[in-house]
Amino acid sequence: MAAVIECQGLNVRFRTDDGAVTAVSDLDFSLNPGECLGVVGESGSGKSQTFLAMFGLLAPNGSATGSIRYRGTELLNAPRGALDELRGNRLAMIFQDALSGLTPTMRVGEQMAEVLVRHQGLTRQQARARVIEALEVVRIADPERRYAAYPFEMSGGMRQRVMIAMATLCRPEVLVADEPTTALDVTVQAQVLRLLDGLKRHTGTSLVLITHDLGVVAGLCDRVLIMYAGRAVELGPVRDIFRRPAHPYTRALLRSMPGLGIDPAEDLPVIPGQPPDLEHLPPGCAFASRCAHVVETCRVTRPALLAVGADHARACHLPA
Amino acid sequence: MSSVLTVEHLSVHYEVPAGGLFRRHPLTLKAVNDVSFELRAGETLGIVGETGCGKSSLGKGVLQLVRPAAGRVLWEGRDLCTLSPAELKACRKDLQIIFQDPLSSLNPRMTIGEIVAEPLEVHRPELGRDERRRRVDAMLDRVGLRPEMQSRYPNEFSGGQCQRISIARAMICEPKVIVCDEPVSSLDVSIQAQICNLLRDLQRDTGVALLFISHDLSIVRYMSHRVLVMYLGRAMETGPRLSFFGAPRHPYSQALISAVPVPDPDQADPSRSLVLDGELPSPMDPPSGCVFRTRCPLAVPVCITQEPALVDVAPGHGVACHRRQDTAPA
Repeated sequence: MAAVIECQGLNVRFRTDDGAVTAVSDLDFSLNPGECLGVVGESGSGKSQTFLAMFGLLAPNGSATGSIRYRGTELLNAPRGALDELRGNRLAMIFQDALSGLTPTMRVGEQMAEVLVRHQGLTRQQARARVIEALEVVRIADPERRYAAYPFEMSGGMRQRVMIAMATLCRPEVLVADEPTTALDVTVQAQVLRLLDGLKRHTGTSLVLITHDLGVVAGLCDRVLIMYAGRAVELGPVRDIFRRPAHPYTRALLRSMPGLGIDPAEDLPVIPGQPPDLEHLPPGCAFASRCAHVVETCRVTRPALLAVGADHARACHLPA
Repeated sequence: MSSVLTVEHLSVHYEVPAGGLFRRHPLTLKAVNDVSFELRAGETLGIVGETGCGKSSLGKGVLQLVRPAAGRVLWEGRDLCTLSPAELKACRKDLQIIFQDPLSSLNPRMTIGEIVAEPLEVHRPELGRDERRRRVDAMLDRVGLRPEMQSRYPNEFSGGQCQRISIARAMICEPKVIVCDEPVSSLDVSIQAQICNLLRDLQRDTGVALLFISHDLSIVRYMSHRVLVMYLGRAMETGPRLSFFGAPRHPYSQALISAVPVPDPDQADPSRSLVLDGELPSPMDPPSGCVFRTRCPLAVPVCITQEPALVDVAPGHGVACHRRQDTAPA
């Protein structure tokens, strides 16, 4: 099966007053048709920058090298016109903060309809009908009335559902959701996750779910990419990541989560220290300074992402 | 165990001034309505609920950072609600708070050493400079910061380190109670665990009681001995950790717990969690009777007319629900 998205040797750098910051370094991954790929990491792991680069949305001081292809078409540094044909149409993205993703002075329905008028050449009337249908799908009560509402008149959960409805209007092949539920309460998060799950099952859209929450990943994703300090540290099927995590960082991350299943009498195992400074990345493994199993090689040579099982790879010098 | 703090029928109201075309009269937002609890020495009481449930207002009301509209907060035989600002100031040595956003709660123009020393200067002026310095060094060391970091400013620290500084500031006068208002919500997973463990260690060493406010049920379960669930300013359910998480009885608590993503691909299934429909009603215009009834899968007519009282269903485990007989585990 040919991949929908193929990313090879991606590097994302930012120029700052204090020097260059490497946000993503030498990243390879692919997204298969109909799958949900979870991209997990903490702040500064490069998980969002990877996809902002893909959508041509890096901040002005950022630059990307390498390659991200959508069905063979190069997206990285593609001309704006070419990107505009794909963005919002074949490729869609939703963000953590749904309020800043919506134009505040435009009625919600109208900004949604614009997507259809722009990409599919529908008339306003036709677009309106499709938008109301889409709002019904994401279970917005009274969609006719909500069509004319402004974003500030909606709750956070409702806005996030509007963003999902808007992103899926053109039935995109790829939907990238960047921390879509992080700002939401648990019960609202459950609504949004159920919606994304339904979308994946019923439309065949390939989904990328960027998150720091492994619990969210377990319920929704087929494969998981774990990132640390701008690098891929582990990539594999969701069951392998949870049952047979192969990288010490993944293992430590799983153990340090206070899930509902742990014994509260025991102290949570913690990952000591903090992530490295992206301006001064160590020459070897970026996790070396926090790793309980570190050996001399780890500080000197950067480990490559190598297979440890079927479809399962990790970047670590330790014996598997 | 003896209780250090007793809260009785506490209500916190905010006046929303008249303004605009449509609001001719000022409104009262009842952020906290008739909430009671006891906090015992060395214990953590977790306050859980979603945005707008009044959990932060409850914490502020207890500490008199917002003056409650009604109710009592009993502390060492006195009602904090009746104390003058000067009398309150004397109590603050023993009643501290840690906020969610560690950076914005630290004065950017003060060094770490000054921030942590300040409570000592205010509350323990009799201590000499050397003694103060010794205590600040020891406190910083205790929360995992190197004493030579003292001369640096908050913006030089990460979120997790800033939260350690806030904890040091709160702990330096050896308080009896700390209100922790979402202390780990803005931190990364690996740092969350560090801070949670630090708070647990400090509690074990000093016997400080914590009022731990959070929207994250996993963290509340890890941190708390007892739990209080709030919805639209009301207490819905309260109980010991085991009893509450083992057999939650309020339909809202059940929905909250089932909505927590399970970090196990063989058990997690978003289509199975008990999803609440509809939106949170406006706290300016809460539903009659039980405030949860508009989203409750079990609501019956009596829920519209009568507000349920908190009734014990197990020792120390209370539920405010007319249908509590029907929510017991099978």
